[in-house]
Amino acid sequence: MSADILLEARGLSCVYGRRLVVDGLSLQLRRGECLGLLGLNGAGKSTVLKLLSGVLAPHAGEVLIDGVNLARRPLRGKRQLGYLPDVPPLYPDMTVQEFLLLCADLHAVPAPAQAVPEALHRCDLQEVGGRLIRHLSKGYQQRVGIAQAIVHQPAVLVLDEPTVGLDPRQLFEVRQLVRALARDRAVIFSSHQLREVEHTCTRVVMLHGGRIVHESSLLQSAIVFQLRLREAGPQVAQALAALSGVLKAEALDVGDWQVTVEDAAVSERVAACVVAAGWGLRELRRLETPLEQTFLALTAGDEAA
Amino acid sequence: MIRVVLRREWHGFFRGPSAWLVLALVQFLVAFQFLSLIEQFEAALPRLARLAQAPGLTELVVQPLMMMVAMLLLFVVPMLSMSAIAGERRSNTLCLWQSAPISLRALVLGKWLGIVSVLALIWLSTALLCLTLAWGTELDWKALFSALLGLALLILATSAIGLFFSTLASLPALAALGSFTCLLFLWVCDWSGQFDDAPTVFTRLSMMAHFQPLARGLMDTADIGYFLVLTLGALLSSIWRLDGERRAL
Repeated sequence: MSADILLEARGLSCVYGRRLVVDGLSLQLRRGECLGLLGLNGAGKSTVLKLLSGVLAPHAGEVLIDGVNLARRPLRGKRQLGYLPDVPPLYPDMTVQEFLLLCADLHAVPAPAQAVPEALHRCDLQEVGGRLIRHLSKGYQQRVGIAQAIVHQPAVLVLDEPTVGLDPRQLFEVRQLVRALARDRAVIFSSHQLREVEHTCTRVVMLHGGRIVHESSLLQSAIVFQLRLREAGPQVAQALAALSGVLKAEALDVGDWQVTVEDAAVSERVAACVVAAGWGLRELRRLETPLEQTFLALTAGDEAA
Repeated sequence: MIRVVLRREWHGFFRGPSAWLVLALVQFLVAFQFLSLIEQFEAALPRLARLAQAPGLTELVVQPLMMMVAMLLLFVVPMLSMSAIAGERRSNTLCLWQSAPISLRALVLGKWLGIVSVLALIWLSTALLCLTLAWGTELDWKALFSALLGLALLILATSAIGLFFSTLASLPALAALGSFTCLLFLWVCDWSGQFDDAPTVFTRLSMMAHFQPLARGLMDTADIGYFLVLTLGALLSSIWRLDGERRAL
């Protein structure tokens, strides 16, 4: 199993001036995993990603990319790494194709003529391949940023807030893309959006004050809905609990029910059941998830900081 | 990898109008000065004919032309070098290079060669102008070679200094101001001691004091060494600065 570990950080620490920004951070990421890095502003997310991608050198600890120590053999390690910073590193005076060709050459891709069209295809950029980057919308620029990170087919992908500033449609598309990319490589990305991480990642790490304060898998993470119905009888709880994928159904108040389900798709079955039974569906609302509750609890009182 | 950096630099310089404008302006000023110097030489010919050891075309046209091009470099180099690293840092493209499998040495060399290659066009046009004189008169080839070597060394050193200041700043304008101030200081720093008999520390530091003999055709290894040390020092300082940034020092 250890052969599948594509990214490993051991005891990373980083100091800016006198401030300890990252404090003894250790994590592992295997092939097929998508790790979400959560934290408030200033928690150290971007610094951690810079350390993992070799942009910054840690003051203590080490980073291994596919078993290669980034400090000892940086060039070899970085060949297996794709990095998208919070602001995409783009040259506005180049066309998308020219830019990706530059990035492919920068990573010594053996056949850039094939790698560039493939990256364009994966990021759905074929239509804008010949356009200058400065003329593209923010969503497309973000995609070009992702394309430059994957053009050399890296084993590890480090994405710093890849969905920031995107509209809902673009958000959905980038989310799909990240999920697809994570199938055959290890992906780590930071976000402010808890829902974003829940939808995209298989595992989550919460940072606070440069330290990991929480780590959990999202594969079995339950989702909680609140239902408001006209009908308030006990048969509702029994019927809902009998549905496949429903973990728990309990009454909160007259007509109000809290339903815990395995994943978001189960909510469709819950709604269909309520409508079919004629119980008068007035509201179906997703409540705070355990992840949100954990995040709020861990960062309580530190918003001002 | 230097080739990739160089390709990006050329793209940045020649896709936009700024490098073309700078080159055109320099070309115009150099050509104008060249013609003025030839006119002055022609006007002075009757007086020169009466002199036993009259200075030739090389001393009266080539040398002043070289000095003028050297002065222009003080303004042109900061303009061309300011964005090399500071511009990348400002637009957040520096991390593209920092996270890529490319050494800082290759990055700095590629950036430096990019600036040098543009300035080489100025060197080439100046050399061609001087060579046109060979059609009408006999040139002092040794003096011409020395002057062109001096100009080439000056281009190498000033480009490296410009690049170093670009590694220090986040704003290209600040980098330009820093490198212009430094180059101007290195150019004029021996003015205070020009009437002293013994060379002062400022004379040893002065670019002008080391360039002038070369422009006059006096090749001295000390002058050549000065420019090479300055170039190497500025390049190593640039690498050291970028490495310090990576280590968040």
